[in-house]
Amino acid sequence: MVNEGRFLPTMDLLRSEPMQLVQLIIPIESAHRSISYLGDLGLIQFKDLNADKSPFQRTYASQIKRCGEMARRLRLFKEQMTKAGVSPSTWSTRDNHFDLEHLEVKLEELEAELLEINANNEKLQHTYNELLEYKLVLEKVGEFFSSAKNKAVAQQKELEFQTTVEGSIDSPLLLEQEETTTKQIKLRFISGLVHREKSIPFERIIFRATRGNVFLKQAVIQHPVLDPLSGEKVHKNVFVVFYSGERVKSKILKICDAFGANRYPFSDDLSKQFQTIREVSGRLSELKTTIDAGLIHRSTLLQTIGYHYEQWSLQLKKEKSIYHTLNMLSINVTKKCLLAEGWCPVFATSQIHKVLERATMDCSSQVGAIFQVLETKESPPTYFSTNKFTSSFQEIVDAYGIAKYQEANPGVYTIVTFPFLFAVMFGDWGHGICLLLAALYLIIREKKFASQKLGDIMEMAFGGRYIIMLMALFSIYTGLIYNEFFSVPFELFGPSAYGCRDSSCRDASTTGFIKVRSTYPFGVDPKWHGTRSELPFLNSLKMKMSILLGVSQMNLGIIMSYFNAKYFENNINIWYQFVPQIIFLNSLFGYLSLLIIIKWSTGSQADLYHVMIYMFLSPTDDLGENQLFVGQKLLQLVLLLLALVAVPWMLVPKPFLLKKQHQERHQGQSYDLLYGTDDPLESESQSIPHDEFDFSEVFVHQLIHTIEFVLGAVSNTASYLRLWALSLAHSELSSVFYDKVLLLAWGYNSTIVLIVGIFVFICATVGVLLLMESLSAFLHALRLHWVEYQNKFYEGDGYKFFPFSFTLLTDEDEL
Amino acid sequence: MGFSVTTLVFAVIGIVASLSTRICFNRGPSANLFHLTLVLTATTCCWMMWAIVYLAQMKPLIVPILSEGE
Repeated sequence: MVNEGRFLPTMDLLRSEPMQLVQLIIPIESAHRSISYLGDLGLIQFKDLNADKSPFQRTYASQIKRCGEMARRLRLFKEQMTKAGVSPSTWSTRDNHFDLEHLEVKLEELEAELLEINANNEKLQHTYNELLEYKLVLEKVGEFFSSAKNKAVAQQKELEFQTTVEGSIDSPLLLEQEETTTKQIKLRFISGLVHREKSIPFERIIFRATRGNVFLKQAVIQHPVLDPLSGEKVHKNVFVVFYSGERVKSKILKICDAFGANRYPFSDDLSKQFQTIREVSGRLSELKTTIDAGLIHRSTLLQTIGYHYEQWSLQLKKEKSIYHTLNMLSINVTKKCLLAEGWCPVFATSQIHKVLERATMDCSSQVGAIFQVLETKESPPTYFSTNKFTSSFQEIVDAYGIAKYQEANPGVYTIVTFPFLFAVMFGDWGHGICLLLAALYLIIREKKFASQKLGDIMEMAFGGRYIIMLMALFSIYTGLIYNEFFSVPFELFGPSAYGCRDSSCRDASTTGFIKVRSTYPFGVDPKWHGTRSELPFLNSLKMKMSILLGVSQMNLGIIMSYFNAKYFENNINIWYQFVPQIIFLNSLFGYLSLLIIIKWSTGSQADLYHVMIYMFLSPTDDLGENQLFVGQKLLQLVLLLLALVAVPWMLVPKPFLLKKQHQERHQGQSYDLLYGTDDPLESESQSIPHDEFDFSEVFVHQLIHTIEFVLGAVSNTASYLRLWALSLAHSELSSVFYDKVLLLAWGYNSTIVLIVGIFVFICATVGVLLLMESLSAFLHALRLHWVEYQNKFYEGDGYKFFPFSFTLLTDEDEL
Repeated sequence: MGFSVTTLVFAVIGIVASLSTRICFNRGPSANLFHLTLVLTATTCCWMMWAIVYLAQMKPLIVPILSEGE
């Protein structure tokens, strides 16, 4: 048993919440309401007691199917509303709460009504489109006949004139013959519309099929026409085909069908033409009125649906999730109750009790739900109570791995160390202020942004707004330390410590300044900027700084492993993991940090690389000019021996002690078995899974772990040098933009060039330094935390507490 | 100001910040310990940053040398 907080006071966020496995026995009549109230509470993670059953075998499969049907109807409504341009109302009336049966009936009725309206509108629209086409045919073909008639009259007059002029003896006979021929031939015609892109092949095929014995005339309609069949706007031509004979007619009809040409009757009688046009126009007006009324009715119906759509969607999601949860429960038909098991935080016990009692009363159930805590060896899920500030930092840790149950949470120190390490790389108090303004904007607009949908990048930035704020604040601080405001130094905290050797300042560019005053009190001395020795100085400073910060954080990580071992009462890990690790790391790299501090304090010119290398290569030789303090050789010898001892110390004893521990536990298990025969249930529940202790496997695991730590100590220390690299890159880029863009533009003494220079400087600063560089520093800080810090103590092999909660149902959930 | 005086200033600022946090955000011993941890960690980080830069400049091995042409 884990003694919670026996040695240490409890601290928020350091340990995950205490969890317990609970069992609920719920009467069937109040089960739905109980689960509903637990969903509102959102503090139980149910276990699936029917994992072996298929979805169709589960108790509430039919209810889920009904929910699916209702979801289909809601999707249909959504689609129709989108087409009609109706948007669902955002305000939701929570007053009227339908139960599932009422909702189902209502959705069914609304669907039927909507489908009926749609069908009626479709039919009317079809008829309307046909009449519209008919009207077009009447107009165009009427034009054909009028022009044809005019031409005929003209030709006849011309013919009569020729007859009079000729005056031949054969003229009367020819006229008689011609009239006879005309009377015998009776031409007929078919009129309609054809798609414009099909008009030419249509004409060609008709000509060939009838061997040229037809006359076809087409006219273009300027505006697109609504096709009665497809309902789409199409460019069409009006056509009229003159033919003779029934066989030719049947051919033409087939070709019209093949080309999808709609045919309409047409009378060659002029008075009938006018009458038909008048009738069609009248009917069109009537249909238009009817269609408009139908559309208004449909729009009204959709708006009514829109008022309730969001509420119905949410309620349906809830119902579906309730039934999915009920399907996880084990049903006992004879006792008429459901058995549920799940994890919940210990602090939620009283809340769950109240919820279950309320459900019992609301259902007027005779029997109340039973709530009891089960004992289990299972590892509980991990649950951290976070708020809007701490949740984003916890997400950073969780992305690496979910903490094992009650394992020390690196998120506690990450809240400070993560933005701090970011600032070490990003330090510039001008850029820090820009970042702070951006973060404050997101924080001030918090409520507005939280309620609306943002893009992917904006969503991430908004989620991390408190991280950005802390990163900005620390960046301002480290910017003051580095003494850079958009790369420009200032004498904010007093005069520079450096001055000229004499009044003429001739040596400033040869042997340089000398230190004439006490050390600059806060941050980097402003005199370094722009000098030839700036880079060597800053490189040396920042490399040593990286090592000091890195060794500090790694030590913090190892200390966290002590707290873990202490908490879980794992003495093996204290004495054979924590102690040798601390010794090893600090014998070498802790000693290096000490040397750095001593060198700075004394102004020694010792070469630290030399010292560290020859500490290993020839530890017994004299140090010579690299000696920093008295007794250094002896100390190095002792530290070297300690480091050498620490490695087998953390490798060898633990596997043997674990083996011994396992054997002792195995012997104890025998006694338990004898004792347990009295109570079969107790014996069954207490049965420990018989695990074989594989010594070789444990030893290999320990070997890998030891090698990883020893080599990791070297590579992780080197990894912290990225703090220097990123900081250098940021500083140099900033200087380049300032000197090469802004100062260069200023030097031209031109307003236009200056404005362009300022614009380019702003774009470069925002685009490169504030966006790309901050992302880069973020990622490197992330790496330093995930690998260099967390691998010292963090196992991260737990699983996250995922409660049944209605608030976790997002808009993206499929209905 | 010397190293020790400024270190004392950081310590005082840390104490004042801890007390202010305790007064303004008093929410039970568990949360208070959490807030105290955050404040102390932040103070320590800031002090370390300052101390590193200050120590590096106490007895420098090199001095600023102006570029040619200035």
